Amino acid sequence: MTPEAFEARLRAVLAERYHDRHPFNLRMHEGTLAADEIRTWVRNRYYYQTRIPIKDGIILAKSEDPGFRRQWIRRIRDHDGDGSAQEGGLELWLRLAEAVGLDSADVASLRDVLPGVRRACDAYVRFVSTRDLLESVASSLTELAAGGLMVERIACFEKHYPWVKTDGLRYFQSRTEQAPRDAAEGLRYVLEHARGEEDQARCVRALERKCEILGALLDGVEWGARQLRLAPDAKVHDEPEGPLVVLAERAVRVNETGREILGLCDGDRSACQVAAAMRLRHAAPPEVEREAYAFLEEMEKLGVLEAPADPTPATERPA
Amino acid sequence: MSAPRLWNLIAELTYRCPLRCPYCSNPTDLAAHADALDAPAWGRAFVEARALGAVHVGLTGGEPTVRRDLLAIVRAAAAADLHAHLVTAGVPIEADGLAALARAGLGSVQLSVQDAEPEASDRIAGTASFARKLAFARAVRALGLPLTLNVVLHRHNLARVGALVALARRLGARRLELANAQYHGFALRNRAALLPTREQLRVAALAVEAERASSPGLEILFVLPDYFAERPKPCMGGWGRKALVMAPDGRVLPCHGAAELPLEFWSFPARPLRACWEDAPGMNAYRGEAWMREPCRSCPERTRDFGGCRCQSFSLAGDAAVADPACALSPHHALLTAARDRDTAAEGDGPGLRYRTWHLA
Repeated sequence: MTPEAFEARLRAVLAERYHDRHPFNLRMHEGTLAADEIRTWVRNRYYYQTRIPIKDGIILAKSEDPGFRRQWIRRIRDHDGDGSAQEGGLELWLRLAEAVGLDSADVASLRDVLPGVRRACDAYVRFVSTRDLLESVASSLTELAAGGLMVERIACFEKHYPWVKTDGLRYFQSRTEQAPRDAAEGLRYVLEHARGEEDQARCVRALERKCEILGALLDGVEWGARQLRLAPDAKVHDEPEGPLVVLAERAVRVNETGREILGLCDGDRSACQVAAAMRLRHAAPPEVEREAYAFLEEMEKLGVLEAPADPTPATERPA
Repeated sequence: MSAPRLWNLIAELTYRCPLRCPYCSNPTDLAAHADALDAPAWGRAFVEARALGAVHVGLTGGEPTVRRDLLAIVRAAAAADLHAHLVTAGVPIEADGLAALARAGLGSVQLSVQDAEPEASDRIAGTASFARKLAFARAVRALGLPLTLNVVLHRHNLARVGALVALARRLGARRLELANAQYHGFALRNRAALLPTREQLRVAALAVEAERASSPGLEILFVLPDYFAERPKPCMGGWGRKALVMAPDGRVLPCHGAAELPLEFWSFPARPLRACWEDAPGMNAYRGEAWMREPCRSCPERTRDFGGCRCQSFSLAGDAAVADPACALSPHHALLTAARDRDTAAEGDGPGLRYRTWHLA
């Protein structure tokens, strides 16, 4: 491909697969997200923010070129700030957290990051850890679309979510300038260093993978809203050996904590609310949300729990 | 050794069935066994099974829906606090009958199909049934009952595992069992007509892997035939270890095939179910590990596969206590590999199918 055709191909990937087309983002920009959904997104997306300087550090360490490193290190400073006057992206995101009504220390503790979000973000760090510099830089090119999305997002928040204090939107404002500049640098690097069809194809795949990861992140956020309930065929037997869930083709032994979580799954509480309720009941264990989410995922996989919004809804059985 | 907890009662309500599948797991002398237990007797068995710890009952056969008293049997299972799971061919039952069973407390359904294509499915079933099976599957989902689709795999349908997964997705199944035929009873008679080639299995396994990735929410089981495995399967989760099979005449067995072994099993209701499960000589013959010989006795895998299938040892090596010939470590393994190489050498479709038959004595 000529450089022009290659660039067009990269942009086409974004046009087709960038997460601005994800149902959650569409709802955000239509203004139909509930305040709790906005909060879940802000709380979880913070984990992604914390991964950015780490993955940029990994990219930095792959380069032999002082010029590249001088340029790329700025991204880390953009996110981490300088520790005094200049606020970094991480800090600005925590302001957003405060602006939507969350406790920033609570968000920064990362204690109730949803499991799918954690997996998606970790997959991004793993991707840049295992790929060469070219693919790693190519995976950052989602920024080509980020600037436009930020402009749109600011307008959408002002219009649809006026309860979010304007001060909270400064992260988006900072990205309207940073993202296009970073994207231009990244694009220049990729266009220069992708030599031949094979390199170009690797870059396209890297960008596709990154789009997948961003989509998976939003899937992970949506999972938090799932209103799980015991599957209609599942029944809990209380046995001396502990609770036993009996359902089609399976019997699953759970412990008393699991029993308590299942009891909270009433089809009304979301996964996030179930974890929050467990936190209220058991303040001591630091990992309570993480354990609750892992349990909910496992039970859903085994068919013990289901969400009414499943593609094949289980209608109520006749009494 | 003391008897372990019973988890699952497999209730063979009858050997009668409108289908004639050539790999049927019923005994080859099936017509000699009467449906000796009425619904109240099954109900008593369910209560006794629950007392032994059982939480599941599989209502199977033959075809359980040929029983006129199935509704009372399902009601009895629910009353005994067992999860009632209907294992059916989807005929002769109709949607209204199924709705009645659901109201009576049926928990879930496993439906067999013989292939993804109507003609091929009907050819193996030995009767026109595919269209009715699909209609039945839709009725199951419309009632909100979890559906498992079960397909026995062999030379003639292995190429269509992809289409079978698509069918399971379309029908809204939660689980798909793609189980290669195990060669006992009727299936053993048809081995040369059914046994697939290694290449067929390899291609099918790849297809299943690809389908798994694109089928979230559908659990797919793919069980290889013993003839191509290096190690035996943990048959029934171990002899007399988790489940029992109650035959239509009340015999209490550790598996579908054990009646063919020269062992003494006991019958319900002549004796209490607890005695049939805990004390019958046949039930204790291969419980635990005391019966094992080498290479099983010292094998580190004996706690995983429990020595494999006693019935296969008996039918191929003539002694139920030797290692399952499916195991590459068995001195009798060559019996199985030689039969495999002979039976898969035939070009094309191999010999014709010998259907399940019902010989009146």
